[in-house]
Amino acid sequence: MEREAFLHKVAVAVKGSPLPPCDEQHLSGLVPETQSDELVELFVERVEAVNGTAHLTSPELAPGLVLGLARTYEASSVLSWDEGELPSTGVLRHLLTNGLTWVDGHVPADQVGRLEHQEAYHSVQLGLTGADAGLAESGSVVLSSGPGRPRMASAIPIVHVVLLRVGSIYASLSQYFAAHPRAAFDRTNLIVVTGPSRTGDIESKLTLGVHGPKHVHVVIVD
Amino acid sequence: MSRAPVNFLGRAGPAIRDGKANATNVGARLLADLRTAAIDRYPAMDETRDKARAIRLHTLANLDTYLDHFATAVQEVGGEVFFAADAAEACEYVTALATRHEVKRAIKSKSMVTEEIELNRALEAIDVEVVETDLGEFIIQLAEDTPSHLIAPVLHKTRFEIGELFAAKLDVEYTDEPTRLNDVAREHLRGIFLAADMGISGVNLAVAESGSICIVTNEGNGRLTTTAPKVHVAVMGMERIVPDLAGLGVMLEVLARSATGQPLTVYTNIVTGPRRTEEPDGPDELHVVILDNGRSSVLAGEAAEILSCIRCGACLNICPVYRAVGGHAYGGVYGGPVGSVLTPAMLDTNEDLPFASTLCGACREVCPIRIDIPRMLLALRAEASEKPLARSLKAYAGVATHPSRWRAMLRASGVAGRVAGKSGWISSAPGPGKGWTDHRDLPAPAPKSFHRWWKENRGAKDGT
Repeated sequence: MEREAFLHKVAVAVKGSPLPPCDEQHLSGLVPETQSDELVELFVERVEAVNGTAHLTSPELAPGLVLGLARTYEASSVLSWDEGELPSTGVLRHLLTNGLTWVDGHVPADQVGRLEHQEAYHSVQLGLTGADAGLAESGSVVLSSGPGRPRMASAIPIVHVVLLRVGSIYASLSQYFAAHPRAAFDRTNLIVVTGPSRTGDIESKLTLGVHGPKHVHVVIVD
Repeated sequence: MSRAPVNFLGRAGPAIRDGKANATNVGARLLADLRTAAIDRYPAMDETRDKARAIRLHTLANLDTYLDHFATAVQEVGGEVFFAADAAEACEYVTALATRHEVKRAIKSKSMVTEEIELNRALEAIDVEVVETDLGEFIIQLAEDTPSHLIAPVLHKTRFEIGELFAAKLDVEYTDEPTRLNDVAREHLRGIFLAADMGISGVNLAVAESGSICIVTNEGNGRLTTTAPKVHVAVMGMERIVPDLAGLGVMLEVLARSATGQPLTVYTNIVTGPRRTEEPDGPDELHVVILDNGRSSVLAGEAAEILSCIRCGACLNICPVYRAVGGHAYGGVYGGPVGSVLTPAMLDTNEDLPFASTLCGACREVCPIRIDIPRMLLALRAEASEKPLARSLKAYAGVATHPSRWRAMLRASGVAGRVAGKSGWISSAPGPGKGWTDHRDLPAPAPKSFHRWWKENRGAKDGT
């Protein structure tokens, strides 16, 4: 159907619509903050509450900590954001100099190339990314796509390690959006990750790692 | 929607008797309890619900404007927009796109709107293999079943049934352990994700200002569907708009809490256009199909408010009728209280769905948008009963205002009374009387009318 005709039909429906009136006083203003003190503590608590694991560390200790995680899960390869996109330097390099194989995250534009490239994703166990923000109330991390930031790094491996600067923790998603109203304009993909992949589809019993990562480790770098 | 061959009562009876509604009852109660616990942990819930309601009503009252903004914004970031008047147009667009890209296999993340337009059937008709990737929907597809809940499509199935299904269809060893069933599905679907030619998703909410679409999934299949294939097609009901990112934030604060008690769904995926040249991955094409399919008539009618629904499923979980009968009894794609309003309003039939409620008001209590479902159920009931009632009253007037017809009617009912015999009850009446006698007996009319009795017994004495 033509756009004009479609929208005209909607406009006519709107005019005759017996919709209840909108209470305009609720339209503006932020969603109230519930807890804003002790953001880091709350964030750590909530990450654990959604079945993730939080680690507090320093820039010096971060590379060793992440390598330790890779060894725990017996990961031999890593799909990662580029070194320059990660909020803590040296982590990726440390993994690669200690035997992990780097899986290229740059997907060719042609269909054949794309499918061949993605074949390699079958076996990748570890995904390493940064995060734009942490959200205390929900225990979430916000990741945006962009150059040097493959989306697949947080979507396909069984283990996802997120590096987050302690200063980028916000109270809630609404607070983050309020601080960055253009977040969705600037990036083609904004993903808010709240714990590992899960489902309750079978008899409402919680199982983890359905399609995305089964283990999510948030490494908070102070 | 071409289902719904019989009425609600016809479907509800077997649903209760075959015991499948028991699984639904257990699952729905659990989800309702999770919601309650989440709200206890989130003191701002009431205030946020007021905001969510105001934003939804404001958007609907200006829907043409916001849709126009949204479409322009999608095009500006390199996406294509198609406006579909009905299911046929939407399916035609997607099948043409699949043909153009020589799509052999398409993957889908869970979407009720594509159930509504029966997109899978349309794609299969042109030999495209369609794979549902939400675990519940995957099970539904393997079982050739239909979903019974907005967010938990296999709420009606037990793990034993699912275990047998996987063993039979996926050639794996039988297990009824949910964790192992989960891993079987992961393993099976992994390769399919990475090799699909097209990804099809629904849209939970769309942001007019930025042209973004937001898809929430717990499993991560939504992310893979919108990242791995070259082409991403998003199908959305035209009402799923919010003006800006702040509005989206408000909706997301109430959506998952109301649905499963989570503060946010695991993956809140906001997509703004196809990948840009300097980006390492993501789809090269993004198509957004905006669907009317009866929604503009709903917007113009008594049930307009139902379009503010954000499909959390809270009204299903709390509803005593839904818990007792399960989702399939509602016939349409959308079950429970929201379906009882939406299905008759969209299809413009006076089916009996608005009567599938006790009007207890629990749905309104839990709705994150505070939608007044009972009010609309009453309005739809009135609409549904007006038509046949007006007809029978007119017929009655035609008889009662003509003495000769009246006497003929009395004679006919006398015959009926004698036929009914000694029992004094008619248990099966023809014509319009059938609607009554299907579920209860009708007292038989007296063999002799009062008029006649008076004439025979008193008329002579009184000289009348």
